[in-house]
Amino acid sequence: MTDHSMTAKIIPALAITGAAGLVIAQYFIWVYAPVEATMGILQKIFYFHLPLAWWGLISFFIVFCASLVFLITKKPVMDRLAQTAAEMGLLYSGLALITGSLWARAAWNTWWTWDPRLSTTLVMWFIYAGYLALRQSIDNPQKMRAVCAVLGVVAFLNVPLVFLSARMWRSIHPAVFGSGGGGLEPEMMTTLLVCIFAWGILTIGILLYRVRQLDIKDRIKSLFVY
Amino acid sequence: MTSKDLKLIFSDGSGIIQPILLGLILVFVFSLSTPIGEEVSAQAAASIFWLATSFALILVFNTLYSIEETNQARTGLLLSPMPLQHVWISKAFTGLILLLLAQLFFFPAIIVFLGQENVADWWALLGVILLVDWGLVAVGSLLGAVSQGHASRDSLLSVVIFPLLIPLLLAGIRMGAHLLGGADDESLSSWAGIAFSFGAVFTGAAIILFPFVYNEY
Repeated sequence: MTDHSMTAKIIPALAITGAAGLVIAQYFIWVYAPVEATMGILQKIFYFHLPLAWWGLISFFIVFCASLVFLITKKPVMDRLAQTAAEMGLLYSGLALITGSLWARAAWNTWWTWDPRLSTTLVMWFIYAGYLALRQSIDNPQKMRAVCAVLGVVAFLNVPLVFLSARMWRSIHPAVFGSGGGGLEPEMMTTLLVCIFAWGILTIGILLYRVRQLDIKDRIKSLFVY
Repeated sequence: MTSKDLKLIFSDGSGIIQPILLGLILVFVFSLSTPIGEEVSAQAAASIFWLATSFALILVFNTLYSIEETNQARTGLLLSPMPLQHVWISKAFTGLILLLLAQLFFFPAIIVFLGQENVADWWALLGVILLVDWGLVAVGSLLGAVSQGHASRDSLLSVVIFPLLIPLLLAGIRMGAHLLGGADDESLSSWAGIAFSFGAVFTGAAIILFPFVYNEY
């Protein structure tokens, strides 16, 4: 059981800050940041694509950490956090793949290409979709939690291998945060950081809200166990 | 345990006939995708070989872990005075034997149906198959127990295992394509490194994590 009085105060604060951050981010995206010379207005999708991709991958890392802690401590809240992070990661990485595909069509004249980052994100999407399918399939809650925690750990151990193998296959993706800033204008970089921060606050708020929701769901369910 | 599992599987044969048949059908169906007179590339042939192997892996480990479902035999295994990791190792070893047996049928099918006769080095090919199979059975034996007792275990296990296998399958395809006479691949040792790392990471993970999957809850 989580401390509801504390989370009940934090969640609205995070939600309001995140929403305000996203509104401010719109100003940075559409007014402050310059229009890119070759791609034009379509480049703006990048300010949604990259924060979604980053927070998606961070969510998957949270699944790994929460699963590991669950296996050690057996605290149900860690299982709920892992489930929530998997759901958020799946949603964010799915949106990142869609926005990336739209970007790729305009930039590279193809909807999809074999690229380490694209492929790794897609493989992660499949793995965590399987993870959530597994959660629905096992009736025994204790077994489900343990098995999903194991999958949550091995899924993330696989990431470096997926990335390396996809990179060795072939790559054309640009390096945004490479040496020297990856060629981004300072205004674009500032806008990007504002977007990443705003999405981050919103993500943490949704994570806490969903964990609390799952906790309440379990408590209600336990009321009807005889 | 390996001896017991092999005896049970070969007593009626269904546990090994199904994966072999499924793999052979896959190879045959993929051979129809090439127009008459055109050659199948070495990379495509290697992809089909590892795809057939992956499906065989799912069926083999479902069979291996379903053996103990009847008569509460699984509880007997849990009560036996041995570390649970022994169950993982013995299932992995049995799975490896069955998978190699299935591949004994898949490989001639690749030669016959997909026209792959120019094997560069048979010993290297055997080494590649064993290296990739190591990773496959490490994951198969770890997660095979997940779907134990589940009605739709084949589909559940496929959804969970296939995405995890992607780096290993890419390595198997690249090394297989090279040895089947495809284009020279300078990164062959790097691919072998990926396959080795995969086997090592999942063997280590399985030794630590298997008791959580197999225990009674």
